[in-house]
Amino acid sequence: MEIPRVVVTGLGAVTPIGLNIDELWSGLIAGKSGIRLISRFDTTNFPIKIAAEIASDFDPTKYMDPKMIDRTMRAVHLAMPALKEAMSSARLDMNKEKKERVGVVSSTMVETGYLSRGPELLARLGPKRADPLFITKSGPSTLAMQIGMITGANGPNTYVDSLCASGSDAMGAALNFMRLGYADVMIVSGSDASLEPVTIAGMNIIGALSREPDPQKACRPFDLNRSGFVYGEGAAILILESESHAKKRRAKILAEIAGAGHSFDAYSETAPSAETQALAMSMALKVAGVSPDDIDYINAHGTATRLNDTTETKAIKIALGEKAYKVPISSNKSMLGHIISAAGAIETIASIMTINHSLIPPTINYETPDPECDLDYVPNVARKTEVKTCLKNSFGMGGQNCCLVIKKFEG
Amino acid sequence: MSAEESVKDIVVKIVHCDKNVLTPESTFKELNADSLDIVQILVALEDNFGIEIPEEDAQKFTNFGDVVTYVDRKVAEKK
Repeated sequence: MEIPRVVVTGLGAVTPIGLNIDELWSGLIAGKSGIRLISRFDTTNFPIKIAAEIASDFDPTKYMDPKMIDRTMRAVHLAMPALKEAMSSARLDMNKEKKERVGVVSSTMVETGYLSRGPELLARLGPKRADPLFITKSGPSTLAMQIGMITGANGPNTYVDSLCASGSDAMGAALNFMRLGYADVMIVSGSDASLEPVTIAGMNIIGALSREPDPQKACRPFDLNRSGFVYGEGAAILILESESHAKKRRAKILAEIAGAGHSFDAYSETAPSAETQALAMSMALKVAGVSPDDIDYINAHGTATRLNDTTETKAIKIALGEKAYKVPISSNKSMLGHIISAAGAIETIASIMTINHSLIPPTINYETPDPECDLDYVPNVARKTEVKTCLKNSFGMGGQNCCLVIKKFEG
Repeated sequence: MSAEESVKDIVVKIVHCDKNVLTPESTFKELNADSLDIVQILVALEDNFGIEIPEEDAQKFTNFGDVVTYVDRKVAEKK
C-alpha cells in the first residue's frame, strides 16, 4: 500500500487576538498582543492578574442550540465557530463524503470549575443527586465526540493529551491515522478553556507564569528579562485530507503535513531536556524526508519561561547544527499567550499562513538579547521571506515533545 | 395549588422548548427530550419539590400531564 501524502484544506480559529482566521492572521503580522487583565474571575487575591482571554462578547448562542450549550464545556463552545469556519473554508460537504472515512482527533484540558461540582454534590447531597450531565459533559473526550456528532463523521474518533504539546500531537495522531489508511479526512481540533482560578494558582505556585503587571509587555519569549508564560484560551480546527481525496474534489490545498516527530524526556516533571527535544525535531525532519538546510522557518514552542527558551535554543542547535544560526525563529505565544492543549494546533495554523503569505509573524516584546538565546527570533516586526518548509515545535511540561514539518504544497 | 407551573418551568429550562407548546398531552418524544433530558428533569423535580421519584414510577410517565399529576400526588402525600 502506498503511503498517502496528507494535506490541509480547511482552517478555523477562535483566539485572543481574533475570532476567525483573518483576524488571527492580521493580528499576528501586526504584532498585536491578546493579553489583558483577567475578566473571567476575580483576581483580587491572585498574584497573577493577566491572561490571554477570548473577547468577553464571545457568544456561544450564535453557534450552538441552547441544549448543546448546557451539555458541553466551554472548550466545545470555543471550538464550534472554528469548526464551522474550517468546514466552510475546506468546502467539505459531509453529505458527499463516505462518513466512515472521516475521523476526528481532539486535544483539550479538563475544566476544573465544572469538574469540582461532582464531588461537591456527592458530599452534600449523596449519590442519588449526582449531576446527570457529569459523565458526558466533563471528560476530555467530549470535544471529539461532539465534533463527530455534529459532522456525522463515523471514522476514528479520539483525543490525545500531552499537556502543552497536545495540539501538535493531535496533528501527529491524525497524520498517522491517514497514512495508515484509516481515513480520507481527519478533523483535528485543539480547544482549551482551562483558564480558571485553580489552574492559574497552580501554574503560579510552580513559578511558570509571568508576573509582569503590564499585560502588553508580559510575554517576552527569548528576551533576557522574560519571566514566564501567560495563560491563554482558544480553539483551532484543521481539516486534513489525503492528497488524492483533496484533488478528486478539487479542494484548495493550503499546505502539506509532511512529518511528525515524537519523544519523551524521561527526566523531570517540569524541567525540559534539549537532547530529547532535538530528537523529536530530527525525527520529524527524517519522516518528512527533509534536511536541516531545507528548513526556512521555525515556529517555536517559545513559552517565555527562563528554562524553555534556553533549552529550545540549545535543542534547535543540536537538531539543525550550523543552520540553527541562519533560520528565522518566532514565538506566536508572545501575542497569543500559551493556549496549553490548543497551542500546537493554533500555531500550526499560523505556520500554514506563514507559508501561504511568505510573511513570518514576529516575536514581540523582544528588547534585550539573552546570551543563552543567541539565534534569530524575528524581533518585533513581521518579516517578508519565502517559507517553503516550516518546523513547528511543541514541548509538553513533563517532557512530552512533538514536532511537525509543514511544507508548501507542490505537486 | 397544582405544581403545573413549576413543573413547566423545569421542563422548559431543560429541553429548551416554548412554554406555550407544553400541554398535558405533550410527550417527551414530541419535546425532543432524550434520556439525559429526562434524568435531568427528574432530578430537578426531586430537588424542587423535596420528593423522591423511584425509577419504576418514572418509567410509567407517558406525557407531561402524567408528570404533573404524579408530582401533585407526591406533594400532597408529603403534607
